[in-house]
Amino acid sequence: MSIKQPSVLPGFGLTFGFTTFFLCAIVLIPLAALVLVATSMTWHDFLRLVLSPRALASYRLSFGASLLAASINLVFGFIIAWTLTRYDFPGRKLIDALIDMPFALPTAVSGIALTTVFAENGWIGRYLEPFGIKVAYTWIGVTVALTLIGMPFAVRSMQPALLEVQRDLEDAAETLGAGRFYVFRRIIFPTVLPALLTGFTLAFARAVGEYGSVIFIAGNLPMKTEITPLLIVIRLEEFDYRGAAALGFVMLVISFVVLLTINLLQGWGRRRLVQAAH
Amino acid sequence: MSITLDQVTKRYQGVPVVNDVSLDIGDGEFFVLLGPSGSGKSTLLRAIAGLAGVDHGRIALHGRDVTHVSPRDRGVGLVFQNYALFRHMTVAENIEFALRVRRMSASERRKRRQELLRLVALEGMDNRLPAQLSGGQQQRVAVARALAHKPEVLLLDEPFGALDAKIREELRRTIRQVQRELGITTVLVTHDQEEAFAMADRIGVMNLGRLLEMDNPHELYSRPATRFVATFLGAANLLLARQTKEGVRFGKTAVNAHPSNPGHGSREHEVVAVVRPEEIEVAPTRETLGAIYLAHGSVEEILFTGALERMRIRMDDEAAAPLSNSNGSAVPLLEVTRTQHEQRAFQVSPGQAVAIGVRRIHILPTPLSSFTACAPSESQVEGLSQHPLLVELATRMKTRISTRVEPCLGIPGAACEAEGAFAGTTVIAAEPDVAQQTQWLLERGADEVLILPPNAPSPQRVLIHWADENVRGATLAVAASVLRHVAAAAIYVGILPDRTPEMQRPHGVRALLDARSEAQEVHGLEMRTELRFGDVASELTRQLAETPGQMLILGVCSATGVAERFGSLLTSARWPVLIVHRAPEVVLS
Repeated sequence: MSIKQPSVLPGFGLTFGFTTFFLCAIVLIPLAALVLVATSMTWHDFLRLVLSPRALASYRLSFGASLLAASINLVFGFIIAWTLTRYDFPGRKLIDALIDMPFALPTAVSGIALTTVFAENGWIGRYLEPFGIKVAYTWIGVTVALTLIGMPFAVRSMQPALLEVQRDLEDAAETLGAGRFYVFRRIIFPTVLPALLTGFTLAFARAVGEYGSVIFIAGNLPMKTEITPLLIVIRLEEFDYRGAAALGFVMLVISFVVLLTINLLQGWGRRRLVQAAH
Repeated sequence: MSITLDQVTKRYQGVPVVNDVSLDIGDGEFFVLLGPSGSGKSTLLRAIAGLAGVDHGRIALHGRDVTHVSPRDRGVGLVFQNYALFRHMTVAENIEFALRVRRMSASERRKRRQELLRLVALEGMDNRLPAQLSGGQQQRVAVARALAHKPEVLLLDEPFGALDAKIREELRRTIRQVQRELGITTVLVTHDQEEAFAMADRIGVMNLGRLLEMDNPHELYSRPATRFVATFLGAANLLLARQTKEGVRFGKTAVNAHPSNPGHGSREHEVVAVVRPEEIEVAPTRETLGAIYLAHGSVEEILFTGALERMRIRMDDEAAAPLSNSNGSAVPLLEVTRTQHEQRAFQVSPGQAVAIGVRRIHILPTPLSSFTACAPSESQVEGLSQHPLLVELATRMKTRISTRVEPCLGIPGAACEAEGAFAGTTVIAAEPDVAQQTQWLLERGADEVLILPPNAPSPQRVLIHWADENVRGATLAVAASVLRHVAAAAIYVGILPDRTPEMQRPHGVRALLDARSEAQEVHGLEMRTELRFGDVASELTRQLAETPGQMLILGVCSATGVAERFGSLLTSARWPVLIVHRAPEVVLS
């Protein structure tokens, strides 16, 4: 399609130019710089840096905890979104507003708060301690922090989809003889599935990039509770810009692969629905 | 009977949206629930489907009480205005949904699906997704889906609302055809009277949560009982007329036309006449009219609509002018439609003076015709005629409020006497001497007197009582008329004297039940009943004082002693009271 084709809205040329410029300046050029710095090393140096045991352990924690946190948010975020959209109860508005709190708090504040609560002598940590469950300064703490900061992303992306599930659809299914669980499984769930995946993706992306809250609760023991972003900061503080760029590059690639996979899954799911019919 | 509703009531936050609806729909009948938006018709349909619980009453399908049965066990098929197709499923999966739930085998499902697709003329569309179909096709799929599990009742909630005119017509025909072929009892909800006429075996008209009338389309159109049905089903001119022994009189001119239905009793009184626009004839002079002469007028506006010509005529005699119209001008205009044939016979241009004749007049059986605000002085009358409740009632009843100054109102034996008859319902303010005023009016021939306290709100409960069995019918008729225009619950209060012996009490209960069934059968009014013991006036006062937002309709058969008997009830009135007065008819031997 040619750009010159008359369009309903004027100003396509201007807005398209602005979009391209903005994306380049804010997203693409800094990312390219990162790649450039990383590629200025020798292949050997690069591999040694990114495959060092400490780096590998940090990837495992960062992506593992992020996936776990996003999964937790998928389930509980759905339940919260469901409760908020389907039921009316006193205090609903208040809870709805509370969801956004992690958005607004500086992440360091959430980190400190979580640490206080989950430390061995904290409000909750003290009761978990006798069972041998340690939250603060372990991978569990990291997961808790990532769950907290990802939660609003999950809830807020699922809420509109749940609001949009027409009551008529459920009513129709019910008059056709379907029970409540059947309606949920066959009607509601497939309808909101794309929104669920979006919520999962956003929560995951947010968790991978998180730094502020985690460093307080993680304890940052090398090989154990050290996340990749922290490792990057450590490299920077050592003025090892290349090392930092190399780690950043790896994060970039893994994140991109995960997000792309989810997107492809989503598209595949849609096509499969169409194909299953043929 | 396929569907039986018995006194079904549904409230939302205390306000009845479906109010005491009783209804029987026969096997294989195509029944249309017609009403404006917010009339409760969709809620009633959802109650039949089981998607909305009811607060009161009973619903039976094929003799089985399903009031507390869940929608999935009711055996109904429901079609929605927005199709409500499952968008992630194909046409085939949508149609087979109910069969899959019932664990029917794949081959049987396929067979049933083919059958249904043929029925709605969508063969070969099995594998499409709803998004790949047009609106009309989607609604056909929805119909097929609703019929898959062979329901005994098919419910359609404004199924054509989202479709354009041509598709709508086509789909109407398909649905009617399918319905006939399967012989399935069907209820369709719509606000479109043309649709109702085109499809219904029987139409039930709803307004304000009440089922006003039901009959076959032709009867409803030609013999409506209420002004709402008269004006909602097609265009209608409502005119105030005076029923006399000789016939009907409009304004100054004695028409002496005999209406299509005989008047009620020999009593001369004001009535509401329905004249359909197509029943009006215009001619150059009175002599050339083929129909009965009504009045002279001048043509205000002519609109050519193809087959028909629509005209608005201003009548010279304003007293005979129509009560309501849609264009909102100060003096309503008479609506006339003429066929091509009539147009050729007599060409008319705007501004032309014409003679107007009527071919057919239908008199509404409603006892409430118009309101006359009455007070001793000009300023009081002005204030009273703007009372919010009165204005609300008059607007809803599409009638007019006239004014009348009576300087001697309420002064017994005053030198000046009322001039002319009191027409319609006379309205007075709740002044301290309201009891005397009421009696004064009743003695001078007022049929209904409405007493309005200042700031009286629209009533939520209407109490009904008659002081004499002779006025039972008239009181019920007035109550039914009032309750058609306010969303309130009706309660008949039967009162027996305190000293009623035990043996006679069953008689009291019997009278109550008789009253209830008469209200239902003759006037289509559903009401509850309560039995009290004690003095009539004080019992009523006590009950009215209990909760705000109540109104009393009180039937009396003689004017004498009204001030004495009900003085306390009227004087302390913080509630509206409507007094219905009918002298017993004198039978001449």
